[in-house]
Formats: sequence, structure tokens, C-alpha cells
Amino acid sequence: MLRFLGERLVQSAAVLAVMSFVIFALIGLMPGDPVDLMISADPDLTSADIEKLREIYGLDRPVVERYGNWLWAALQGDFGFSRLFARPVFEVLIPALGHTLALLGISLTLALCIGLPLGIWAAVKPYSVRDYAVNLFAFAGISVPSFWLGLLLIIVFAVILGILPAGGLGTPGADGGWADKLIYLVLPAASLTLASVGGHTRYMRASMLETLRQDYIRTARAKGLTERRVVLGHALRNALIPVTTIVALDFGFLFSGALITETIFAYPGMGKLTYDAVMGNDFNLALVALLLATLVTLIGNILADLAYAWLDPRIGFEGKNQ
Amino acid sequence: MTAAIIKPATPLSLVTRRFLRHRLAVASAALLAVLAALSLAAPLFETWLALDANTVDLFNRFAPPSTDHPLGTDEAGRDVLLRLLYGGRVSLFVGISAALTAAILGTTIGLLSGYFGGALDAIFMRVTDGVIALPLLPLLIVLAALDLEKLGFSAAAAQSEGASLYRIVVIVALVGWTTVARLVRATALSLRERQFVLAAKAQGASAARIMAVHILPNLASPIIVATTLSVGNVILLESVLSFLGLGIQPPLPSWGNLLTNAQELIWDAPALAVYPGLAIFVTVIAFNFVGDGLQDALDPRSLERGRR
Amino acid sequence: MRPAGPVSFSILAAVLLLLCAVWPAQAKDRDQLTIGITQYPSTFHPNIDSMLAKSYILGFTRRPFTVHDQDWQLVCMLCTKLPTIENGLAVPETAPNGKKGIAVTYTIRPDAVWGDGKPITTKDVLFTWRMGRQGQTGILPIEFYRSAYKVEAKDDKTFTIHFDKLTFDYNAINSFDLVPAHVDQVNFDADPVAYKNKTAFDTDTTNEALYFGPYVISETERGSYVVLERNPKWWGEPGPFKRIVVKIIPNTAALEANLLSGNIDMIAGELGFTVDQALRFETRHGKSFQVLYKPGLIYEHIDLNMDNPLLKNRDLRHALIYAIDRDAISKQLFGGRQPVAQSAVNPLDWVYADDVKHYTYDPKKALELIVKAGFTKLEKGIRHHKNTGEALRFEFMTTAGSKVRELVQQVLQSQWKAVGVDVRIKNEPARVYFGQTVTQRKFTGLAMYAWLSAPESVPRGTLHSAHIPTEANGWAGQNYPGFDNAEMDALIEKIEVELDKPKRKAMWKRLQEIYVEELPVIPLYFRAEAYIMPKWLGGVKPTGHQYPTSLWVEEWQAK
Repeated sequence: MLRFLGERLVQSAAVLAVMSFVIFALIGLMPGDPVDLMISADPDLTSADIEKLREIYGLDRPVVERYGNWLWAALQGDFGFSRLFARPVFEVLIPALGHTLALLGISLTLALCIGLPLGIWAAVKPYSVRDYAVNLFAFAGISVPSFWLGLLLIIVFAVILGILPAGGLGTPGADGGWADKLIYLVLPAASLTLASVGGHTRYMRASMLETLRQDYIRTARAKGLTERRVVLGHALRNALIPVTTIVALDFGFLFSGALITETIFAYPGMGKLTYDAVMGNDFNLALVALLLATLVTLIGNILADLAYAWLDPRIGFEGKNQ
Repeated sequence: MTAAIIKPATPLSLVTRRFLRHRLAVASAALLAVLAALSLAAPLFETWLALDANTVDLFNRFAPPSTDHPLGTDEAGRDVLLRLLYGGRVSLFVGISAALTAAILGTTIGLLSGYFGGALDAIFMRVTDGVIALPLLPLLIVLAALDLEKLGFSAAAAQSEGASLYRIVVIVALVGWTTVARLVRATALSLRERQFVLAAKAQGASAARIMAVHILPNLASPIIVATTLSVGNVILLESVLSFLGLGIQPPLPSWGNLLTNAQELIWDAPALAVYPGLAIFVTVIAFNFVGDGLQDALDPRSLERGRR
Repeated sequence: MRPAGPVSFSILAAVLLLLCAVWPAQAKDRDQLTIGITQYPSTFHPNIDSMLAKSYILGFTRRPFTVHDQDWQLVCMLCTKLPTIENGLAVPETAPNGKKGIAVTYTIRPDAVWGDGKPITTKDVLFTWRMGRQGQTGILPIEFYRSAYKVEAKDDKTFTIHFDKLTFDYNAINSFDLVPAHVDQVNFDADPVAYKNKTAFDTDTTNEALYFGPYVISETERGSYVVLERNPKWWGEPGPFKRIVVKIIPNTAALEANLLSGNIDMIAGELGFTVDQALRFETRHGKSFQVLYKPGLIYEHIDLNMDNPLLKNRDLRHALIYAIDRDAISKQLFGGRQPVAQSAVNPLDWVYADDVKHYTYDPKKALELIVKAGFTKLEKGIRHHKNTGEALRFEFMTTAGSKVRELVQQVLQSQWKAVGVDVRIKNEPARVYFGQTVTQRKFTGLAMYAWLSAPESVPRGTLHSAHIPTEANGWAGQNYPGFDNAEMDALIEKIEVELDKPKRKAMWKRLQEIYVEELPVIPLYFRAEAYIMPKWLGGVKPTGHQYPTSLWVEEWQAK
């Protein structure tokens, strides 16, 4: 178990290292550096000015050298400054990260709390009215474009009913404490939850259906166990295996993929920050933000693998590396 | 425990018969067929209505439905019905082709990885991790600036108005295969330890045969669920990309960019948003139900459950 | 099995209800004005990176020495008297480089103090100038600091700037933005190169000593909002509200919803709705809100790449403009609020010449010109050259995702198609488009975008042949069409140094004539700004140029 974890961590660190270069190169490949943007804003710049500016921003050297310099500094704990915000990268990142974790934490918990039981509930009685109803609900959640859902929620709850704020982080100027912040979280969290609950429900249902067909379930039923014990006691464990993958993957995706929801609800999380950093040529910030997203995904994967092994005794930890 | 006997692929007629029992799936399939047919017939509608989908009429903006324009006109005075039909072509094409490409890629990688395990698995899965973790956004921007001609597309294709369409299919397929790969691998990993596979191995069946005959059929249902879901997801993703200005380029309509365009008009001409939104909604749902039906139809044990 | 789903639902509902009960009813007092804009300023340093969101917010908190007012007249804000050659405060002289230069003397208002009560003195002037001259800091505008080769302080309040060139706008130092020496000098002198990351504007944004306007920044939440409180040390009329909150809502559809829900009171014209959005908003909510439109100096146009063999042909350039109905676009899409542009010069600018050629919609004429250029063959509705068989086809680019531009683009495409010109739309995200395609002249045909400028700004960067970006000059300059006209070059150079107004006006007229005749650029329209405000707010006077309304916030009032 420890050996497995150790190996995975080492592998993931390697992936992260490779990805740091890939992302660095990718950003480097993107057309237009910060100085290009300055040129387009100021007609009076001479080529000497441009050279000087490139030097100031360290853009006059080849990508590999820049990457080397960056890596060296990063290993010493210096991730550089955000070009856009003129602050150390982590000073910019950490608040956004906090916002994102709050938003994702709430919506993921809600989505799982709703999605998994619903999926099981539907799978127990497939092709019944309730199964169709659950499916329809799940599909509806999946099928609504996120910005559409966001706008709809704002219109209903903020404009028409006027009971929830339309967007933002909290009431500016008034320190309303956590209750104030939480109230601003309701709509974006609801929007994200609705978008992801369908997927969870569907995967849980499919996986539970599949599991309930297995022979050992039949055996269990034959032994005269109650349906409840069969489902929750025997089947659930196996049925959760594929679901963990999806959840782990989802988390990494949502981490930077909540962009639309963040944009609509004016909620400054990682998605919007990453987008602005990429679009605004903020090399250091974009790089670290993207690497952070990578890291979260990798951790999610490790957790998913651990969960496999824990849930499915047939897969030994060693079995994976034979 | 009794050894499970895995049947060879179920005969097509049986699959069809089973599929037909799933009423919602049949209805969905029919609906998709109608949508596809309508979309394909868009040029016919164009002739019939004596209109052009891209011709702008500044003096006839936001017109209400009439005999000339069955669904009215949009912000540039173009016929909404025609735009929707052409949009359907684009969205369906992008969704299906990208999802299929991604599924094929993902199945191959996941199967090899899960069955052989070991170093191959480790490498494949780390690549998968890498691709999953690959940031879509800078990739899209880089690709938006890439010269398609350098990628081997003909000059005509690169300059054509559909260039943004191929770009999206390629991008989505390149980043989208990972879900299927991971699912397939996870299932393959557990299948290869099963008795029927071990038995086949003991009988000296080749790896290729085991994968094709014993494992793949068992993988069909997760792949199908994932692929049908992903057709919908791609259609949704395309709308997100449109939202960011990285999607299908005008004047080529897609449901995604029609919807995005309509977001500012939500108060004034809600219908402009409702139609493409509904089209996306219905299509994604339908693909899901079809996937559902197919899953049951392909699965040899679904019938008994269906009756239970 | 017990259904767990509905249980979670009821818990969720209960939580929601509870939260709604806790939610304090928003007090609708007039002590506070909440403004919605779409962008968060990155840095707050006035001289690093130019950005609209920043100048809007800093407008509440800082004042430039000179600025163009709402009537486009140059006025003093921080100085006591506008120096001119006539009043003797500006004296032409010979600069060390042998060229004609000028020495301009300004006096800082005697009552001007920083937010912490320390007087604003020539120390701050000298410090700011030294910082800009150093040249390692990325301090803008580079051209100003290059030209201002010497600054002398007569006393605590009076100083003279020596410029090494004599231009007609010699006394406009609008972008010479003071930085407090007593706060930021330490940060700068410690390491000039690292200064851009160490400045108090970003490390200590809420330090009132950085500001000297009616308001100071009291709270910031990156990406979300900026809170401004009255500056007790401000020497002028106090601001009309105790507090101004600027909220950042990036999506305009959400911005509107925020306005309707009362989350914000107004939408700034500088960074809010496009005119077509505002027009639609006005039809629906004109009763509850006031909407102000101000056409301005945002010049929306299409650059034609003069290296394109087809576009080298002037007849074809003329054909392109005759084939499009700009009047209809202005009327139908923008309710006539965005006037059609005849050239780069705005009709509100005093150098505008009304008697130069106006192009009107004339598809017949366009067709004649196309035929004259040899494109007689018609295949599938597209004109082809009679000899070479070449199709009359152009690539048309703009920023992807910009709704108005894409709409206009499709209208134009459709109108050009009507005369057999095949225009292919190829849009790119702003970052690619401005980062490379336009700036390195990689567009092959047409490129649509806008310029924002100050009144009477000489188009040196955009029309002088020395400013055509090339690989050799490091892509400097903004003459993206690649316009190369000797007479234009000479005119630009003469206008810049001509101090006599009537003479200058005559040259401006000739400049516009060349522009319109040679047509390296298709003028479309001047974009208007739309201010959405509550009925009870008065005194907001849109400027129409790059200096924001917030510079005159003390004139605003709650009715």
C-alpha cells in the first residue's frame, strides 16, 4: 500500500515536471507576448524601446532558457510576480483558490449527496416511473448550457424574486461575516451543482445496475437477504468503483472549468483568474495556476486509484505494477 | 460460484428487438433521426422558403414569425429556422464526429493499458493524466492561431468557412479520449482477473483474441454510455467555446454560437435563445436515452431485468 | 429503500430558506453609489500599463495636471494656470539636440495635498519624472519621458519642463501622473527594475497617501470590487456620496441582471454596455433609468492590407466602400447613436473638415469599379478576373467573441456578396489578433478594430510610413495597413510642429482628403458610450474621449 502510494507520487511528480515544461512551452507558443500588447497600445514606441521592454520582462531569451530560469527560481520557492497584478504569484492565487475551494466544496458535496442516492434509488427499480423521472432530471441537468442556467438563476432569484444577490463575493464595505459570503455563494453553487449532479446520478445508476446483475448479488438474494442489505451492504461497494473515477476527474476539470459560472456570477475564482492570466499574457500567473490545476487532477487520480483498490479487493496494489 | 459464461456478441436482430422495447430510447432515436434529416435538408428549406441563411436584412430585424419566416428573424434579419437547421448540421457533426474519434482513441488506449498492465499501463496512464491535466484554454488559443495548412489540411479547407469546425473536432478528440480510456482501463483491469478470461488464457487464446472476444463485448456498455454522454458534452462544450469566442466562427451557425449570441438578447428576444437552447437540450437528452437503450440492448442480461 | 434524494433536497431547501432569512435587506440610502463595470484593473499604479478600468477608478482618486474637459478643451486640474506661449509661461527654445524645443512652466495648486495631508510639491514632480526617465521600469508613456529631457523646480510648487521638440500640444501633460515621493521613493530607489512589483500602489493600495482626489480607495477585493471613501483632505467640492463602490461584473447580460436586481445602481459608459444593448435596455426600462449616449473618439474601422495585390488597386478599395451601407448600419443597429465616420477625424474635433468627400451607399458605382478592375466574370455569384480567373476574395478578420463587431461583420459580408465580392470571415481571440495578427500585419485582407484617442491626436503612428511594423523594426508602429504616402508623411511632420491654428487646420483638411481618397482604411463609425444611470443621479457629463467621467465626480449629484 505504502509502496504503491510512493510509486504513484513519484510518477505524478514526474508528470507534473513534464507538464510544467509543456505548459511553459504552450504559453510560450501562444502568439503575442506582453510587449506585443503594449506595442499595440502605444504608437510612439521605437524598436529600441521594444527591445528594452522585452529585456525588462525577460522575453528576449529563448523558451528553454526562460524555463530553466523559472524552474531554478521556482525550486527555491520564488514563483515570480504576476505581470498583470504586479504581486507575487501566490498572493494573487491564494484568495482565488480559497474562493474556488469554497464554491467547489459546496457544490461537489451537494452534487454527490443528491446524485449518488438518486442514482441508486433509480437503479433499484429500473424502468419504473421513478427511474424515468430520475433519468429525465439527470439528463436535464447535464443538458443545460451552464451560462444559460446561470443567467436563468439570476433572473429568477435576483431580479424577479429579489431574494438572492445576483453576483459577487460579498457585500463590499460591510463586513457581513460568513453568512454574507455564504449568501453570495448560493446561486453559483446551485448552478454548478445542477450541472454536475446529472452526471453523478447517471454514472451511479449505470454502475449500480451493472453490479446488481453480478452473480454474487444473485447469491446474496438467494440467501434471502433483504433488498436493502443487498444493495447497500453488498452492491454499493463495487458500484462505487467507476463512480470514483468520474468524481476524481470532474474535480480536476471543475477546478479550472468553473470559468463560465464564475464569469456569470462575477465570482473571482481560479477559472476566471486562469483565463485572465492566459488572455492577458501573465506568464508566471498562468503557469502556476495551470500547474495547480494539473496538481489537483493528479491528486484526484491518485485518490481514485486508492479508492479502487480499497473498494475492489480483486485489484491489489501490487497487481497494477506487475 | 458458477463460472460466468460469456456469450459471443449478440446477434444484431436480437439487439434491435431489445432496443425497440425501450420506448424512450426509440422515441429519442426517432427524434434524432428527424433532427438529423431536417438539418441535412436545410438547403431544401432554403430553396423552399426562397431565402438564404446568411443574407442579412437590416430592415427586418427581430421580425415575429410569419409565413415568410416561420420562426421569425434574428438580430441581423436572417431567418431563424434556417439558421437553426444549419446550426444543427454543424452541432451534430461536431458532436458525433468528435465523440466517435475520441471513443475509438480512448478504447484502444484503455484496452491495451488495462489488459497488459505493467509498464505499458504506467506509461499510458501517465500520458492520460498528462492529457487530462492539459490546460484546454492555452491549447485552444495556440490552435486558434495555428496555420491549418501547416497541419496538412488543403489550402481550400484551411480557408473555408468550416475551418473552425475541423479545428474543434480535432481539439475535442485530442483531449476528450481520456474519459473513455480511463473507464475502459478500469473495467478491463477487473475483467482480466475474471475466471472466464483466465480460462480462455489457460486454453491458449491469443491476447488479441481475448481482448476482442472476451473483453471488448463486456466493455461495450461503459463505452456506449460514455460516448453517448460525450456527444452531448461536445455539443455543450462547443457552446462554451462559443461563449469564450473560441468556437465556430460566424457566419456559420451552430447551436452553441446561436445560443451565445442570444444571451445579450435574453430580455428582448427570448425566443432566439429558447430555440437553440431547446435544440441542445433535447438533442443531448435524446443521445442519452439512446445510449441507455443501446446499453440494455447490447447487454445479454438486460431482458430478464427488464421484466423483473 | 428509503429515498435519500428527496431528503437532501429538503435539507437544501431548508438551508436556502435559512440563508434568505439571514440576508440583510439592502439599505437603499443615497450615501452610497454602486457602479458596475466589466473589468478589474490589474495594477493601480497610474503609470504602469494603461487600462480603461484603472483610469476609471483612479479618476475618482487622482487628478492629472492637465486634461481635456467634457467640451474637449484643455484645462488645468492640478495646476493653477494653463501655460501658453501667449501668456509667457511657455517659451520656445533650442533643445540640446539642435531642434526646436520648448520650456513650459506649471504651478501646482497651493492647496493640493496628498490623502495623508502632506502637500503635493515639486519633489513629487521630480521624483515621478526621474522614475520615467530611468527607462527600466516600464513607466508609460515612454514618448513623454523621452521628450521631457529636463525638469527644473523653481520652488515647492513651480516647475519647468523642457521638451526637446515643439509640438502644438506642448502644454498638454495629461498623462504625467504624479507619484508621491514620500511614499514610493524608497521602493523605487531600492531597485528601479523591481519597482513595478514593489510599488505601494499594489502592495498598499488602500494607503490614502497615494491619492489626492475627492475619494480614496478604502478596500479592494481582487476581481470583485473596489470601495472608495470620501477623502477628508480633498481641497475641492466634496464628492456627492459618502462611499462609491465599483463592482466588477464581466458578463454584460449578468451586468444588466445586476442592475435590475438593485445589486448595482448604474453601469459606467466607459466599460459597460454597447450602444445596441443600451438601446434595447432603454426601450424596456427607459421609465426607470436614464440612458445617456455620447459618441466619441473610439473610431471603429477596417484596415486594408495594402500589400494585398487586389487591395493595391485603389478602384477596388473604393468599390469596397461604395458597396456597403454604413448609414443603414448606423441607423438600424445603433439607432443613429453611432455616427458614420468619414475619416479618422471625429466631427466633434475642431480640426474636422466637413467638405471632404463623403462616401455613400452606391452598389452600382461599386460594381462599375469592380468591372473596371477587370473582374467581369461572374461564377456562383462571385466576381472573377477576366484574364487570370482570380476570384475577388478577401479574408476579413476581427476579434472573436465581440458580438457587435461580429454582427457588423456579417452585415458587411452580406452587402459585399451582393456585388460579387467574396469575403471570408476569420476571427481570432483578442489575444492572438492584437498580439500578432494585426500588430505583425499577418492579416491578408481586412481587419476590423477600433482606435481610442485624445482630441486632435496626430496620426503619426497609424499613417506615417516610418511606422509600418516590420520584422526589422521589431514590429514597432501602428501603421497596420502599410500605408506609404510621401505627402501624408510630410503633412504629419508639419502638423505636429505647426503652432498656428488656422494653418494647422488647413493641413488637417488636406490630411483628411488624402485619407479619404487613398482609403487605406474603411471608416465605419464612431462608437458611442452608453451610460445607464438611475433617474436620481445628475451631473454626469460623458466626455466622449479617453478621459473618464470619474474625473468630474464632484459635479455628480443625487437628486
